[in-house]
Amino acid sequence: MTDKIERVMHPFSQSVTIALADIQLQTALDRGTTRGVSARIGAMAETTDAAALRHQARLARERALNRLPDLLEQLERNVIANGGHVLWARDAAQLNHVILELCQKHGVRRVTKGKSMVTEESALNHALEAHGIEVTESDLGEYIIQLAGETPSHIVFPMLHKTKEATARLLHEKLGMPLTDRPEEMTRFVRGVMRSKYLEADMGISGVNFAIAETGTIATVENEGNNRLSISTPRVHVAVMGVEKVIATWEDYAVLVQLLARSATGQRLSVYNNLISGPRRPDEPDGPEFFYLVILDNGRSRILATEYAESLACIRCGACLNACPVYQNIGGHAYGWVYPGPIGSIVSPLLLGPTRAPKLPYASSLCGACQAACPVEIAIPDMLLKLRRDLVQAGDPTPGWRIGMKLWAIAFRSPALYRLGSRLAGWLTRRLAGRKGYLRWLPPPFNGWTASRDFPAFGAPSFRERYARRATKT
Amino acid sequence: MSARNDILSALRTALAGGSPFPEADSTPMLPVTRLDPDEDLTARFVAEVERVKGAVHRATSDDQARRIIRQLLTDRRARRVTMWDEAHLPLGGIGALLGELGIERVQDSNEAVATAEAGITGADCALASTGTLVLSSGPGRPRMASLLPPVHIAVLTEDRIVPRLEDYIAAQRAQRLGVFRSSSNVTLITGSSRTSDIEMHPVFGVHGPLELHIVLIENLG
Repeated sequence: MTDKIERVMHPFSQSVTIALADIQLQTALDRGTTRGVSARIGAMAETTDAAALRHQARLARERALNRLPDLLEQLERNVIANGGHVLWARDAAQLNHVILELCQKHGVRRVTKGKSMVTEESALNHALEAHGIEVTESDLGEYIIQLAGETPSHIVFPMLHKTKEATARLLHEKLGMPLTDRPEEMTRFVRGVMRSKYLEADMGISGVNFAIAETGTIATVENEGNNRLSISTPRVHVAVMGVEKVIATWEDYAVLVQLLARSATGQRLSVYNNLISGPRRPDEPDGPEFFYLVILDNGRSRILATEYAESLACIRCGACLNACPVYQNIGGHAYGWVYPGPIGSIVSPLLLGPTRAPKLPYASSLCGACQAACPVEIAIPDMLLKLRRDLVQAGDPTPGWRIGMKLWAIAFRSPALYRLGSRLAGWLTRRLAGRKGYLRWLPPPFNGWTASRDFPAFGAPSFRERYARRATKT
Repeated sequence: MSARNDILSALRTALAGGSPFPEADSTPMLPVTRLDPDEDLTARFVAEVERVKGAVHRATSDDQARRIIRQLLTDRRARRVTMWDEAHLPLGGIGALLGELGIERVQDSNEAVATAEAGITGADCALASTGTLVLSSGPGRPRMASLLPPVHIAVLTEDRIVPRLEDYIAAQRAQRLGVFRSSSNVTLITGSSRTSDIEMHPVFGVHGPLELHIVLIENLG
C-alpha cells in the first residue's frame, strides 16, 4: 500500500516528462491504444442501437447505486443460501487482514490470482508474500508485470506499456524463453509455465465484474481461461469486490456484460463469462469446496453521498483510457495509482483524498473523448471540472493565480473591459512576436507556456471585430 | 460483523438525503446484438463460432456425430479423455467409442484430468448471435472437462440454439432462475481461449483449451 501511495506524491509533471521521453513506452502506447479504439468503435457500431444501449446500461447501474445497501444485503443472503460466506472490509488494510486470516484458516501456501484491480488498491500480493505465501498472477499480462516487478498501467491491458520486444527480453532473462518477436510463441511459453501453478495452488483469488443480487452469483469476465482455472482448481475461492459492483437483475447483467466486452476489447462477448454461485454442491464432481465473497468499501460509501456518485457506475472497461489523448501520450504509470486515465483522474483523488493526487483533475484537455467512449455515459469532463473547483475552494492555488483569476472574472463580466483587454493583448503580442508571428518568451506568470513551446500572437482582426463586420453586412 | 454494519450504515447515510439518481424506468430492454427475425439461427451460430476461432462440425445423424468425434480423437492421437457422464450428452455410445479406440477415461482428480488430451461435454444451450456455448456444472457434469484439456469437444443438438443471451436469461427467468441456484458454475464459452495483452495483438490458445470443436447434430424431422 505505502509504496503505491508514495508514487502519487511524486510530482505529476516529473512522471509525465519521464513518460514522454520513454521511446519504448511511446511505441507500445501507439500500437496498443490505436487498436483498442478502433476495436471498440467497430463493435459498438454493429449493435442494435449503440446510444440506446449505453443509456440502458447506465440505467442498470443507476438502479443498483440507488439501492446499494439493500442489494448488498440481498446478495449476502443469497451467497449464504448457495453455501458461500460473505466477509466485509472497511479499507485496504482490513481487506488484506481478512484474506490473510482465510489463508491461515485453510493452511494456504500457494495462491493463484485472476485479474483484480480492487486487490491492487491494497497491494494484496505484497501483504500475502510478506507472510510467506506464494502468489502467482495468472493473467498473461499480470504475470509478465509481476515478473518485471511492475504494476498494471491499464485497467484491462495491464502491460500496455510494454512492447513485445521488451516482453520477449524479460521472459528470456527471467525464465529462459528462447528469444522471439512473436506474441504467439511468448503466449504458448507462459501457458506451459503456468499449468502446474494452477494444480498446486490451495487458494484462487479473483475480482468480480458484476455481482447479481437476486441469485447471489458473481460474474467474472475474461478471455484467457486463467481466471476459470484460478478459481475452479484450488480448494478455496476468494472473490473480492468493491461495494459498487452489485447489480439487481440478470437482465441488467445481460446488457452490461455485452457492453463491457464491446467497449473493452471490441468482442461481442468475452471468451469466458464465469458465473459462480457458491462452492461446489455436494453432488458436483469438481470445483472449490469453499467460497468466500469479500466486499470492500475503501472510500466508496463516502463518494456515494457526493456529486461524484456517478463515478461509481464505472464498469472498468478501460475505453476512456484508450480514447484519451493524455493517456495515449503518458500511459498509465504516470497517473501514480491503481486507476489511470480519465476515470482514474476522478477515482484516485476521490478514494485517496484530493491532496494525494492534486494534479490529476488537470490531466485532461476536457475534449470529451472519454465521455463519448463510456458505455455507461459517465460525464467525466464535468466531474474533472468540479474536482478542479474543489481544489481551488480548498485553497490549492497560489495567491498570484487567485488574483489573476479574479481579474479575469472581472474582465469577462464587462464587455468594455474585455474589448480593451483583448485589443491590448493583440497589440502587445503582435508587437513582440518575431517575423513568424510567435513569441519565444513571455514574462511570469505566462512563462509556463513558453518554457516548452512558442506562443502565437493573437490574429488581427480579432474575432469580435470580424463578427461585428459580418453582422453589419447582413 | 462490525465492518459489515459500518459499511451498510455508511451507505444508508449516504442515501438518506435521497437517491443519487432519478428512479429509472423499467421499460423492456433492447437486446444488444443485431439479428434479423428471419435469420437462420444455425447458420448464424456456425458463422459466429468460426469468427472466434472455434470449429463447428455438422452431423445429420448420431452415427455421423460419433464418426466425427472418432476422427477428432484419432487425429490428435488421444490416449486419455475426460468427459461428462453419457446421461448428460445428447449422443450415446461415446464410452464405447473410447473403449474401442483404447482410450482411457480420466476423471478422478484435477491432476488426472489435466493429463487428458481432450474433454467431451454437452451444453445446456447455445447463443446464435454471439457463437456462445452455455455449460452448467452439476452431477456428472464436471467443469474441468471444458477447461483443463487442450481440446474441448462439445456435443450439441440444433434445437438447443437460441437467438441471444437475452433469450437465455428470459428462459431462466421463466424457470425462476433455478440454474443459478442449483449449479455452482455456469460458464458462457465464446470461442477458443485468447489474449490481447501483448500490444493488443490477438493470440489464440492461452490458458484455456487451445481448440474448441462443436459437434452440431441436426434435429430429425
